[in-house]
Amino acid sequence: MFKELDPLFLSELRLAVMSILISVEEADFVYLKEKTNATSGNLSVQIDKLQQAGYIDIRKTFKGKRPQTICKITFQGIGAFEKYIEALKSYINL
Amino acid sequence: METKQDRQLNEKESLELIARMIQNTKQKMEEGRGTMFLIWGYATVIVTMIVWGTVLYTQNFTWQFLWFLLPISGSIATLIYKKQEDKKPRVTTYIDRIIGYVWTVSGITGFLLSMVSIFVYTFPILFIIILIMGIGTTLTGLIINFRPLVISGAISLLCSVLLSFLNWKLQLPLFSLIFIFMMIIPGHYLNYKAGKAHV
Repeated sequence: MFKELDPLFLSELRLAVMSILISVEEADFVYLKEKTNATSGNLSVQIDKLQQAGYIDIRKTFKGKRPQTICKITFQGIGAFEKYIEALKSYINL
Repeated sequence: METKQDRQLNEKESLELIARMIQNTKQKMEEGRGTMFLIWGYATVIVTMIVWGTVLYTQNFTWQFLWFLLPISGSIATLIYKKQEDKKPRVTTYIDRIIGYVWTVSGITGFLLSMVSIFVYTFPILFIIILIMGIGTTLTGLIINFRPLVISGAISLLCSVLLSFLNWKLQLPLFSLIFIFMMIIPGHYLNYKAGKAHV
């Protein structure tokens, strides 16, 4: 039987961000932008959605005089990501 | 990779994207890791040879205070390197954090023991420094799964025993040689491998 897929992971960009954050401790906005080739506006919108869902924590600091946004996956985000992978497996018979 | 908009993926594409992103991050983790070995390796070798040369030439052991050049030069070079790294997009991995702990503990232990050996009472500090740095190097190699570091660290641990059988005139050149073998050669090799992975 097919398991329900978390709609938050159906977006390519949100899934890319979560895939990066699951394998690192934390990453800044510029790193995520570089790795996903997303535009700043789109990335900003998508990480806000992930934060609102409780999947990532966002910390705003300064690097010298420049503002820096640091993203980190939460326990809830790790759980949701693992659940999503399990659901994907049921679709492609892994 | 094409610019990502808010596109929806099918199941197969999703798995491919996850695998690709995780692989991308894994490659990034190895970049520049050898640089800290190079900074502290070269600083140790150069300062050791300066101390050895001046004490041998002047026969005055007061020049041993030149050892303080080691934490000073190493720390300055580390700060400059970290400042340059700060300009790049920042990512921290679990491995980075663990390696950071290993070297913070090793560095503080080495520094405190050196201070005791200079100001309180004498003991075979070079032997102990090689032991501590050898443990740090071997652990780093095991954590990042880089065999040359494991081998160089482990062999250096064994070589540290040799230091006990030599007088200071031979101890210091051997100490430098061990650092070249333990940190400088693997450091260059690690950076070379990381550079190749990014081509």
